[in-house]
Amino acid sequence: MNRGSLTEMLHCTDMTVLERQRARLKWQQQDQFHQQQQPEEEEDEVEERSGYFSELSGVFSGQSHVSQVPGFDGGAAAGNSMIGPVKPDPGSENGWSEMVKILVPGFGFPGFEANFSISRTASCPPLAAAAEVKDKMSGAAASGRESFKKRKLDKIQNTKVVVEDEIRDKRLKGCTEEGDSKITDQNNNNSNNNNNNRENSDNNSKENSKVSDVQKPDYIHVRARRGQATDSHSLAERVRREKISERMKYLQDLVPGCNKITGKAGMLDEIINYVQSLQRQVEFLSMKLAAVNPRLDFNIDNFFAKEVFPACPPANFPTIGMSSEMNTNPAYLHHQFNPLQQQQIVSCSGIEMVINPPDMGLRRTISAPVSIPETFLDSSCFTQLQHLLPSSTTWDADLQNFYSLPFDQDRSTTFPSHQPFTGSIEASNLKMEM
Amino acid sequence: MRAPISLKQKFLKKWISGLQLCSTCSKNMSILERKKSIKLSADIAMASARNGRTCWSLALIANASKNDKDKLLVEHILGNSEFQRLNKISIMRPTMSNKRVRCKKILKRSCGTIRRVSKRVVPPKILASCVAKRLSTKRTQVLKSLVPGGEFMDDVSLIEETLDYIMSLQTQIDIMRSLANATELVLSRKNEQW
Repeated sequence: MNRGSLTEMLHCTDMTVLERQRARLKWQQQDQFHQQQQPEEEEDEVEERSGYFSELSGVFSGQSHVSQVPGFDGGAAAGNSMIGPVKPDPGSENGWSEMVKILVPGFGFPGFEANFSISRTASCPPLAAAAEVKDKMSGAAASGRESFKKRKLDKIQNTKVVVEDEIRDKRLKGCTEEGDSKITDQNNNNSNNNNNNRENSDNNSKENSKVSDVQKPDYIHVRARRGQATDSHSLAERVRREKISERMKYLQDLVPGCNKITGKAGMLDEIINYVQSLQRQVEFLSMKLAAVNPRLDFNIDNFFAKEVFPACPPANFPTIGMSSEMNTNPAYLHHQFNPLQQQQIVSCSGIEMVINPPDMGLRRTISAPVSIPETFLDSSCFTQLQHLLPSSTTWDADLQNFYSLPFDQDRSTTFPSHQPFTGSIEASNLKMEM
Repeated sequence: MRAPISLKQKFLKKWISGLQLCSTCSKNMSILERKKSIKLSADIAMASARNGRTCWSLALIANASKNDKDKLLVEHILGNSEFQRLNKISIMRPTMSNKRVRCKKILKRSCGTIRRVSKRVVPPKILASCVAKRLSTKRTQVLKSLVPGGEFMDDVSLIEETLDYIMSLQTQIDIMRSLANATELVLSRKNEQW
């Protein structure tokens, strides 16, 4: 399903580059995710998460139906252990928003092991679970356990979350911060999960706003860690910076040699250089084209005129080393028995990109009488555009191969030394560069 | 990542039609004139292949249509209705952001004196971050001058546009190179035969 959507996206021109890259990233991550985890486990987790969020709102509003679902006990307890240090005041906006910010990164991630292992082990029989948990984790897990027990007490008493113990507070702070740093590490790797996270936090904020009857502004999907400023200006600034760094990452992928550079200034340097080089290349190529073509007509009619002729006798068929990428291409696989046909497809696909079939028919009839002698000349030598079949069914063959098809080395060596244009010498040099 | 095929097709179709117009308009040009018209038509074709979704393409089209002679070419490549639509968008945008630029200039002038005073007391840590910031802003300015219409963009959209611009330039170069190779080959073979 992912593959299908991806190809769909790839064929859509109207998307911006950014969207396309995002789609690709998303696809890759989903692929990885599927490889890492068993499908049923994943479903379980999704259920657990969604269930958890709904349960969470229940806990906050004072109704304790957490106990009805034993599997969620641990999760809820761990969540509360993270809430603990915040000391939320349900009436105040800041308390809630901050809580959401801390909570959501912890539980939005499927791969966040600490929390999930707590929740899983907690749902086991208590004694074995305790042993396991203590084996696995030291401080964090223990604090999770403690608060879990405490949470049960709270549930029975039907009270709000209040953490009195200062020492536990500090420990929990450590726990949450550790979790947070882990999350930021993961964040760098997968922006997809980040998006999920934001959606989750949006949902959560909606629930919370229902509970507290306060309408939230839209900055809720910003995560503020402890100690970070929460006023609107610095939040907006942080969002801006995050956006920039995200885009920078995409740019890093796109610009060659940009992977090793850290720091914005160096990266911008590299990008500037790359853009400049691309622009210079465009200049150069247009210069080259101007030099090659004295009359600006680009022989396009000639390319198409060859279509008129059926395949030439295979006697003067030149041997072209088929590149391996062509052989692996599924479009060519069923044609592989006949190398002649293969080439026809290549040349067809090379030509098809210029003008639509109806156009082509018109062109053919117009240019046919004029260019007959020329095409005979060309067809014996210009191997790429040789032997065209009039069949339009093969026109859909992969266009890309026209570009990936390496022009043969010997052809560039047969470049005539006495060219009428000075620019063509440069052109042959260009070939050497590339 | 490679550009999708349909983008290439679109670009090539538009470019070829632009080139044909160029060749019919003026028969004997110097090599520089030819180069200029080839580049212009390629740029406009690329910009129009993006369907006016990005700022840089709009800015490029707007810049090109300032010149009367080039305006014809732009109109031809884009098609009439498309040209009208894009013109409307591109006229609206720069005028709005022109004001912003002027405001920034005034702001800079007024802020300059304040900054000088505060510099004396700056501790080294903040100074370092100041230097880093200045470095990146300088480069951002350069990048803005490189990307068409970059003067009117903020940082986030500038980077987005740069992404898009780089991708389109890559496709453009790809196609130009293959066309150059093809024409060159045809030409060389012809010369050989004679």
